[in-house]
Amino acid sequence: MKLHVSPPAFRGRLHDPRTATSIGRWLGAAFAVCFVTGLISHFMQHPPGSLADDIPSRPVWGYRLSQGLHVASGIAAVPLLLAKLWTVYPHLFARPPLRSVKHALERLSVAVLVAGALFELSTGLLNTAQWYPWPFSFVPVHYAVAWLVVGALVLHVAVKAPEIRAHWTRRSSGTLALPAQDGPDRRSLLASVGAAVAAVTLTTVGQSFTPLKDLLLFAPRDPDKGPQSLPVNRTAAAAGVGRIADEAYRLVVAGPRSYTLTLDDLRALPQHEVELPIACVEGWSKSARWSGVRVVDLLERASAPAHARVRVVSLQLRGGYRVSEMGHRHARDPLTLLALRLNGEELHPDHGYPARLIAPDRPGVLQTKWVGRLEVTS
Amino acid sequence: MKALRVLAGTAGVALMGVGAFLLTDVRDPAGVLVWLGGAVLLHDVVIAPAVLLIGLVLVRGGIRGPVRGALLVAGALTAVALPVLLRPGRTANPSVLPLDYPRNWLIALVAVAAVAALWAAVREFVRARGRTDR
Repeated sequence: MKLHVSPPAFRGRLHDPRTATSIGRWLGAAFAVCFVTGLISHFMQHPPGSLADDIPSRPVWGYRLSQGLHVASGIAAVPLLLAKLWTVYPHLFARPPLRSVKHALERLSVAVLVAGALFELSTGLLNTAQWYPWPFSFVPVHYAVAWLVVGALVLHVAVKAPEIRAHWTRRSSGTLALPAQDGPDRRSLLASVGAAVAAVTLTTVGQSFTPLKDLLLFAPRDPDKGPQSLPVNRTAAAAGVGRIADEAYRLVVAGPRSYTLTLDDLRALPQHEVELPIACVEGWSKSARWSGVRVVDLLERASAPAHARVRVVSLQLRGGYRVSEMGHRHARDPLTLLALRLNGEELHPDHGYPARLIAPDRPGVLQTKWVGRLEVTS
Repeated sequence: MKALRVLAGTAGVALMGVGAFLLTDVRDPAGVLVWLGGAVLLHDVVIAPAVLLIGLVLVRGGIRGPVRGALLVAGALTAVALPVLLRPGRTANPSVLPLDYPRNWLIALVAVAAVAALWAAVREFVRARGRTDR
């Protein structure tokens, strides 16, 4: 007996180019924001050699905004991507499957786009929940596939440009050629997609946009939950430092004129208070009041040259990000502190007791905790 | 216009090249390919047919708008909540995943159903009044 497999027939409405264009431009905007903010985060964490000194330390909320947008636009893209794929799904069964070499290449680029887009959103979302079910390392792969997706997206827009143009507005020629009775149903569908975007945004965005924190339902962090009402990524126990004894603590400042300070020495230096956010790469952020010694004061005392970079070394024994580097803009910013206190209290061990770095416009993983050494470099 | 399209298409291919080049440098490229292909398969073979089937069964008749809206919003919320709902193992510390996510998910579903029911009821009411006024 011969088995006949016929492609499915789609009698449902709205699998049309007007619906695809309407959803696609929102999806395109979300991906554009996600890509640009992703690049910003990547370059702030891994500045290519010569650019390290060009990273600005203002505005203080720069990284908070950009990384908050990165995660929020990625989450908003989830319903948009699924709705877009629903709209164009019948194209998967186009007959004949391949008309020409050009058609084959176009389908291949769409396959890359779909695979990459689904991959980026799912790995990004899983990463915010600190769930890593894959064999590869997240950061370089998420970064590489982002370029693949953006390239495939630009190519896709170029290929589809005439169709996009023909369906851009309700009165465009292509839209008018579609059955008029689909109009109200389409508007109802688009309104529902908009509601879905609003719903996923409102129930997660409070993790970085704190005025909406009471609406949090599905964010992996609550900005109020953690020691001293501030979330933590690596605890003192996980870093292998525990609670550092006051009398055992020493801060070494290594420069042209190196010196060592005890904790009492540090506390005796002029203290400054700043209001700065901790902004994590996973999307959550929260502003807090920090007080401590200005890093620039410590550098002056070591006779560091004005354009010197600084290497901040933690006492932690385990985990990545033990060492972070700062360009001179961050090192010389008067808001950059070696903080001893948080919201009027001594730092909790999980927040870096006895001393941690806090600098404006800087990714959270580079706000080194349990600082034992500042090295003036170059 | 044509020249602009060719230029944009070429730029797109070049950007894809950057991504492909970066991927040659990662430690487990086979694992990445499995996940990329797996994502498409999961969507095209499981998720999309399931959504179409649910739509075929449930989204029909006079209240198809509100029903579809409720399914769409509830589905989107569920998709975004899956990682925090299902993540196995202990978290790094108590400030990671600090909320009662199953409870929040139920709250969200109830809220979506309530709003959709209200929407359908208001629409019916307005339509009924429109008929009697005439």
